[in-house]
Amino acid sequence: MFKVKITDAKLLRDMFQAIAILVDEATFNLTPELIQLRAMDPSRVAMVDFQWPKTIFDEYQCDQPQKMCINISELLKLLRRTAKEETIELSLNPENPRLQIGITGKYTRTFHMPTLEPQEEETPTPKITFKTTAKTTTDGFRQAIEDAQLVSDHVRIEADAEKLTLQATGDLMGATIELKKGSDALLDLQTQEPAKATFSLSYLVEIIKAASATSEIATLQFANDMPIRIDFHQPKEGKLTFYLAPRIEVE
Amino acid sequence: MILVGVVRALGVNLTPIIVKRVLTLKDLRGKSLAVDANNYLYQFLSVIRSRDGRPLTDSRGNTTSHLAGLMFRSTRLMRDFDMNLTFVFDGQPPKLKEQEIKRRRRQRKKALEEWQEALKARDFTKAFSKAIISSRLTQDMIDDAKKLLLLFGIPFVQAPGEAEAQASYMAMQGDVWAASTKDYDSILFGTPRLVRFLTIYGQEYLPSKGIARPLRPELITLSEFLSHHQISQNQLVDIAILVGTDFNEGIKGVGPKTALKLIKEFEKLENLPSKFLSRISPNFERVREIYLHPEVAVQYNLNYGPLREEEIFRFLCDQRDFARKRVEMVVQRLREIHALGRQQGLDNWVAKRP
Repeated sequence: MFKVKITDAKLLRDMFQAIAILVDEATFNLTPELIQLRAMDPSRVAMVDFQWPKTIFDEYQCDQPQKMCINISELLKLLRRTAKEETIELSLNPENPRLQIGITGKYTRTFHMPTLEPQEEETPTPKITFKTTAKTTTDGFRQAIEDAQLVSDHVRIEADAEKLTLQATGDLMGATIELKKGSDALLDLQTQEPAKATFSLSYLVEIIKAASATSEIATLQFANDMPIRIDFHQPKEGKLTFYLAPRIEVE
Repeated sequence: MILVGVVRALGVNLTPIIVKRVLTLKDLRGKSLAVDANNYLYQFLSVIRSRDGRPLTDSRGNTTSHLAGLMFRSTRLMRDFDMNLTFVFDGQPPKLKEQEIKRRRRQRKKALEEWQEALKARDFTKAFSKAIISSRLTQDMIDDAKKLLLLFGIPFVQAPGEAEAQASYMAMQGDVWAASTKDYDSILFGTPRLVRFLTIYGQEYLPSKGIARPLRPELITLSEFLSHHQISQNQLVDIAILVGTDFNEGIKGVGPKTALKLIKEFEKLENLPSKFLSRISPNFERVREIYLHPEVAVQYNLNYGPLREEEIFRFLCDQRDFARKRVEMVVQRLREIHALGRQQGLDNWVAKRP
């Protein structure tokens, strides 16, 4: 038996939206303590690592660990029909493998959708020795990334002891965006040695746009030509972390 | 010059039951694709032709239509849409394909004669469509294409057997995101995703009707397709065998919809009522084997090689008579593709799946 209730429909919608950036079919691990998902996008370029403890929910009931696989973009179609102050109930019926979605506000509607064959194997997290940790406001980082997108479709992220720099070079235009230590956007910067890596903006922009609805502060970790890890801080021990593999120049 | 997309239905026909999503090229941004090279080159060869139906050639008579398509289209897909393309070439066809190959040869021969007649009659519309049906990708053309890819630094893979099988295997391994070809055979070979109509020009010329129709890329996701019909991969192969594949003749009068109904009701070919069972090709178990356990190379290189600019000009301009200006444009695109670097996969940092 799995049954949860959340009185803030927007919270649930925003979180699923962030996951849906990378995965269509999402396999969730449901345990008596939390909901968890870790999955790569089909190109295996990016990973989302998500966790919500039961305390995020207003009611939470899960009698034994189980997996639930759903088409998350289909679920989002339903969740987009919700208003902010509406209550959502999700329940999984063990006899009939489908997910029930009850939405209660001015009136009540109940949808159901099929569950899919869950992915059995667990996705391990990447093993990376990071050289730089930068704590930014999510909005500050989002603005910087959107600036870079004006001129290019990829961005080089660099750090030294003093600042975080985003360098974008396009066909005709270029941009240098600096976030200095102690500025409003950059809350903290720890650099063991200067590091830089290049990332595709098509991934970064989508991830940050979706995740910024759920989070005020983001911690970035990276190293030379290594994947970047972005933690979007969540309330109550929730976790929303993305990994994105770099672009590496040929020859 | 007329540039259009792809022609002619090859492989198994599943169109009426297929579950697909129509895409734009933007949706494929950043994706890596294993492209069925023979199918891809054939498209250019068949449609990059002058009005009377003759393909492009250099001054010594070497056909160059396929090279023109390969160099302009691929570099655009790679630079403007950030795709990673790996080309997969056909090896030896399975023995069971002989009948089909003979049939195609007869069809081409007939079209060749009709083309000549249409030309004499100055019926250019008919000539063009007959010319398309008569086109054949020769070993020389394939060798030229491979040489071009090598000079461009774009990876290609030689399949031991069917290219679709190899491309599907690479997608199943997670080394590429999808297989790309026009045939549905790839999903029979098990590719998790199939991208059809990887075209920029967005037109398909139908020689039988003498018209071009607009085309958009399509994505078929195998798991979606199977779960929509609630069938297994093995059942999908059985359906194809009933309809007819490159390796067996189907049952006359049984189309995809009927075949789907039959297999859903009786589960597999062996259980079909004798009025169907007796009409199935006696080779059907071998056909199943071809799709479910095809011959593939398990080791292949997907890395980019160096860009060999001087040799590109020597080959394309000096030997194949392409205008230097156009080749310069292609080389410029290639420089950008190489400089941009390749998107890495997270698998490099995650323990590889067993």
